[in-house]
Amino acid sequence: MKDVRIDRRLFLRGVGAVAAGVAASSLAACGTGSSRSAGSSGTAGSSKTIVVRNSGGAYGDANQKALYEPFSKETGIEVKVININYAQMLAQIEQGRPQFDLIDNSMIDFVKFAKAGATEQLDYDRLKNAKNAGIAQNLLATHAVGKNYWGSVMAYRTDAFGGRKPGSWAEFWDTKALSGNRALQHVDADIPELEFALLADGVPLDKLYPLDLDRAFRVLDQVKGSIKKYWDTGALPGVLLGRREVDASSVWHGRLDDLIKQGQPLAYQFQGARRQSNGWAVPKGTNNLDAAYQLIDFSLRPEVQAHFAEVYPMAPIVPAAYEKLSEEVSANLLGSSKNLATGFDADVEWWVANDDVVTKRWQEWARV
Amino acid sequence: MAAPVLAPAEPAVATAPGSGPGGLRRRLSGRRTRFGLLNATPIVVYLLVLFVYPIFSTLLLSVEGEDGGFTLHWYADALQGTNLDILLATLRISAETSLLSLVIGFLLAYWITRLRPLWAGLVMLVVVVPHFISALVRTYGWIILLGDHGLVNEALVGLNVPGAPFALLYNEIGVVIGTTSVMLPYTVLLLYAVMRGVDRGLTAAAASMGAGRLVTFRRVYLPLVAPGLVNASVLCFILCLGYYVTPALMGGPKQTMVAALIDEQVMKDNQWNGASALGVILLLLTFAGLLLLQLFKKVGMARRNRGAA
Repeated sequence: MKDVRIDRRLFLRGVGAVAAGVAASSLAACGTGSSRSAGSSGTAGSSKTIVVRNSGGAYGDANQKALYEPFSKETGIEVKVININYAQMLAQIEQGRPQFDLIDNSMIDFVKFAKAGATEQLDYDRLKNAKNAGIAQNLLATHAVGKNYWGSVMAYRTDAFGGRKPGSWAEFWDTKALSGNRALQHVDADIPELEFALLADGVPLDKLYPLDLDRAFRVLDQVKGSIKKYWDTGALPGVLLGRREVDASSVWHGRLDDLIKQGQPLAYQFQGARRQSNGWAVPKGTNNLDAAYQLIDFSLRPEVQAHFAEVYPMAPIVPAAYEKLSEEVSANLLGSSKNLATGFDADVEWWVANDDVVTKRWQEWARV
Repeated sequence: MAAPVLAPAEPAVATAPGSGPGGLRRRLSGRRTRFGLLNATPIVVYLLVLFVYPIFSTLLLSVEGEDGGFTLHWYADALQGTNLDILLATLRISAETSLLSLVIGFLLAYWITRLRPLWAGLVMLVVVVPHFISALVRTYGWIILLGDHGLVNEALVGLNVPGAPFALLYNEIGVVIGTTSVMLPYTVLLLYAVMRGVDRGLTAAAASMGAGRLVTFRRVYLPLVAPGLVNASVLCFILCLGYYVTPALMGGPKQTMVAALIDEQVMKDNQWNGASALGVILLLLTFAGLLLLQLFKKVGMARRNRGAA
C-alpha cells in the first residue's frame, strides 16, 4: 500500500480510550446523589439537616427557591435533595436505611408505598396548617398529605381548526368537525387517559369511577386513526404542537408555558382536566421526624403555597392561597375554584388497584 | 488479510503443549505461571463481583416464583401475547437495522478507502462524531428533519413529489432510520478496518486475467471482506436488541422494543422477576448471535480450505 493512512491500531486505541472514559463517567454518575450528609444521621432533636427526595428538574429548582430556602431561613434547618426513583426508594426503605427523611412524590405512588408498608402513618396533630384549611379530603390520606396540584389538560394550536377552539373532550374526539392530528399520552408516561374518552362519550364528571373499561377503549377506538403519537415524555407534546405534527394533544399542565411566552400559537383548555397532586410522605426508618413534620407544615402555609404557584405552574391545594394570587395567575391554575369545578380528581386508589390490568390492555389495544 | 476485529483470541490452554493432568500440575507450579495467576487475581475478583454475581442473581430472579419457589412462569409470560409481539418486533427491527446499516456502511467504508488520507480522516470524523452527541438531542434533530413539516417533507412537497408528505416518523420507517444512523459508525469502522487490509494487487490481478468489474467484486473482493461483513452485521444486530431511546422517540406503539418493556416492568410495576426473565432471554439471543458468528466463520473457513485443496 502506498498511502499512509490512519493507523488502525492507533485509531482503535483512541476509540477504546474514549469508550473507557464514557464508561467511567457514567459509573461516576450512578454514584451521584448517594452521599448522605453526616448531619442528617444525628439524633432527631439536634439534627440541622433534612434530606428530601424530589423528582428534580424545573420542579426541583422551584422547590429550592419557593420552599426550601425560606424554610431554612426561618428554622435554620438545611435541606438537602436527592433525586432517585420509586423503585430505588422502595429498595432503600426495605433495607432499613433510607437516604432520605421525607419524600416529595405523586400521591398515586404513596398509595403503593402505603400498601408496601414503606411509609409512616401521619400524625395530623403535628400539621397545624392542614387542619380546617379546606384541603380536599382525598389529599389528607392516612400515610400521605397533598402538596400541589398538577394534572393533564387539553392543549391545541390556536391557528388550527380554522379558528375554532375545542372546548371539551367531545370536540377533541370529533375529528370530522375539527380535523387534524392528535396526540395522547403513552402508558409509559403515566396512567392512561381513559377518563377523557369517557367524558367525550358523555359520562358526567362525578360518575367516572369505577371506570368502564370496555366503554373507554371502545371510545378510544374512534380517535385512534387520528393519533399520530403517544407521547412518553412531558416535553414531547410541546415539540409536537410546536412543529405542527399535531393540532391538539393532552399535556401536563405547565409544560407549554415557556412556548406560549415565546409567542407560539398554543393554548390550554381546562374543561375536563384530570387533577393529580404531589404530596409528602415520611419513609419508615428515618430518625428526622421533627424536621420532616416542620417542613410539611411549612409547605402548607397559604403564603408559601401561593409563592410556589408564582414560581412554578403547580396549583395550591390550600384555598386560602388563591386570595393571595392575582385573577390572571389563578385562572391558569388547576386548583382555582373555577377550574376545580370543571375538572376532576384522578381516583388514585382505583388506579393503583387496576393499573396492571389497564396497562396490559392499553398495550394490546395500541399495538393492534 | 487483516484479522477480523471481533475474532476472539484462541484459548491459551488449548494451544499449550502437554495437556494431561500431570502436565497441568507441572505448569501450575511453574514460577512464571504462579506470578501470572497472582497478576490475574484482581481482574478475576472484579469480574466475579461485578459481572458474574449480578448475572447469576438475575438468572435466579427470573425463575423465582412470588412465593419464593422455582417457576418458569415468567418465561411463559414473556413468550406469549403482547410480550411475544414485542420480542418479535425487537428481532424484526434489529434485523432491518443491521441489513440497512450494512449496505450503507459498506458503500461508505468503500468510498472512504478510496479517498486521500486527509479526506478519509475527515469523513471518518463526520461518521463518528455524531455518536458522541446525546441520543436525545439527536432524535429531536430527526423530528425537525423528518416530521410532516420537516425539512425532507417540505422539500419533497416543494418538488411536487406525488404522495408527499410521507409519514417518516412514529412508525417503523422512523425507527429504522434512527437506529441505522446510530449503528452506522460501528459498521463503517469495522468494514473500513477490513477493507484497508485488502491487497489491491489481488483485484488488479483478477482484472488482468480478464475478469469484469462485477466478477472481480463478486469473486475476489467480496470473499476478502466477508468476515468483516459478518462481524459488522452480527454486532449491529446484537447492539440493536437493547435499543431503548430511539424506538420510544421515533416509533409508534407497534415499535416498542424489549428494553422499554424491561424498563417499564422495573420502574413502573416493580416487577423484577418478569424483567429478569426478559433480560435473560435478551442475553440468550445475544449468545445466539455470537454462535451464529462462529458458525459463519467455520463455514467460511471450511469453504476456503476446500478451495485451497
